[in-house]
Amino acid sequence: MSDPGPPVTGIPGSGLAGPFPVGEYAVALRERLRGFTRVQLVGELVNLRPPTRTRVYFELRDAGGSVPCAMWRNDFERLDLAPGTLTDGIAVVVAGGCDYYPGSATSSPSFHFSVSDLRIAGEGDLLARIERLRRRLDAEGLFTTQKRLARPSLPRTIGVITGEGGKARDDVLAGLRRRHWRGRLVWAFAPVQDRHAAPAITRALTDLAAARVDVIVVARGGGSLADLLAFCDETLCRTVAMLSVPVIASVGHHTDRTLLDDVAAVSCSTPTHACESAVPLDCAEERDRLLASAGRLSVHARRSVLERARSLARQARAPSEHLDRERRRLHQGLRELRASARRRVQTSRTLSARHLLVLERRRSATSAAQARLRGTLAERARRLATAHEADRARRHQALEHLGVALAAHDPERTLRRGYALVSDQDGTLVTSAATAGSSPRLRLRFADGQLEATPAPDTMPR
Amino acid sequence: MNEFPVSGEADAVERATSTTDDPARTDGPSYEQATARIEEIIRRLDSGEAGLRETLELCREGQGLIERCAAELDAVGQGLEELRLDELVARLEAGTRRDPDE
Repeated sequence: MSDPGPPVTGIPGSGLAGPFPVGEYAVALRERLRGFTRVQLVGELVNLRPPTRTRVYFELRDAGGSVPCAMWRNDFERLDLAPGTLTDGIAVVVAGGCDYYPGSATSSPSFHFSVSDLRIAGEGDLLARIERLRRRLDAEGLFTTQKRLARPSLPRTIGVITGEGGKARDDVLAGLRRRHWRGRLVWAFAPVQDRHAAPAITRALTDLAAARVDVIVVARGGGSLADLLAFCDETLCRTVAMLSVPVIASVGHHTDRTLLDDVAAVSCSTPTHACESAVPLDCAEERDRLLASAGRLSVHARRSVLERARSLARQARAPSEHLDRERRRLHQGLRELRASARRRVQTSRTLSARHLLVLERRRSATSAAQARLRGTLAERARRLATAHEADRARRHQALEHLGVALAAHDPERTLRRGYALVSDQDGTLVTSAATAGSSPRLRLRFADGQLEATPAPDTMPR
Repeated sequence: MNEFPVSGEADAVERATSTTDDPARTDGPSYEQATARIEEIIRRLDSGEAGLRETLELCREGQGLIERCAAELDAVGQGLEELRLDELVARLEAGTRRDPDE
């Protein structure tokens, strides 16, 4: 709370009331201004500043003066104006009343006309309505149907809707000449700027589509916004959106874009450009390009034929080359086989020689052993023979001795000395007189023979 | 609902959407597809990677496409023919009437 200080006296000599504290005066002023009758003002909107957190500020002017305006941001956004609609110079009608911000010790005061509603006036109003329709059609997806259509690169038949006798016709022909296009061109002349324009254009569109043109150009060489109104017709735009033939529009301004521009497959600034868009390829260039492609293809075809011939020749040579290769391979194999056999024979021979040598050595050893054995045997045989001979001589001598001894005991010798052998009839030697006496017959053997004898009974021993 | 002037052609949309493309133009590849394929074929041939059989097949295919494209170019290169819509409609109607007698 600041000290109010001593009372301030007024200006000496002044007849005016006061002095009053300025804050009180400012608040009173605000109340007085708010008490003014609320009115509508019309003028050009200028100096629209970017919205603050709560307010939108601009000025309203005409030739006689201007008023600063402020609008609560909520009210402003409720207007649903498309971005860019409020541009400097646009005529608007605002509704509201005076207001005053009294300021404070630290902030400046300001006066403004507090706007509670706003609408665009005149042509601006028309644009706003177009904008609303534009958003509606866009929301329905009608701006994309045409753009999804396939456009032929080389349309054979092009339908053109334009005003009869207008400059657009020449522009169309110029555009097609630039493309060197010389197909079928179907003119559908229609009014393009009066109240009959939209229905006539719509009918022309459907008729051209029914006549199976490949693409339709709607051409018009600019005009005022009112003139372009026909191309913002809702039925016309919906018809275009549902057509199965691509539509190329060339009706708009640089500044005012019609709804047909939005709904069409392509939007161009001039009829000439529209035709170039309808025929995207330059026919002459395409012909040259095609010729070049044909030439290159032909080169490849010729090259491939030559290649094929070479390939066939290679294939023709292939069997004999294969045979030669196989023959060489077989010969090589044979040589290797022979070499291998020779090596094996040589190895076997070496091995056999070695075995032979070993066998020879063994045979020599065996012969030597045999000779030695034979010598030993001969020696032994000789020794045996010598021993046998000695033994035989000894035995012979012994036999002789035995013979002598035996001969000494030979009965024949005894007989020759006069003795006789007595035997019975059976041959049994009778060695006693008794026995002889009991034998009926006796056989007497002498050295020179034998005889039978009968013992005399009276000579028998008693 | 319509706050904007409308043309009043109630059946316009229905008539417009009942049209169809020319069937003769819808079979086979489009001109651009054909030329793109020709370019692709030539690139393949230029690469030298195609074998003999493939080369011959590509040449054959490319030749066919070139003939098709040439026919397309011929169709729009013979001479500009200008018609009014009513003339074209009359011609089409005359053709339609003649057809059953042929």
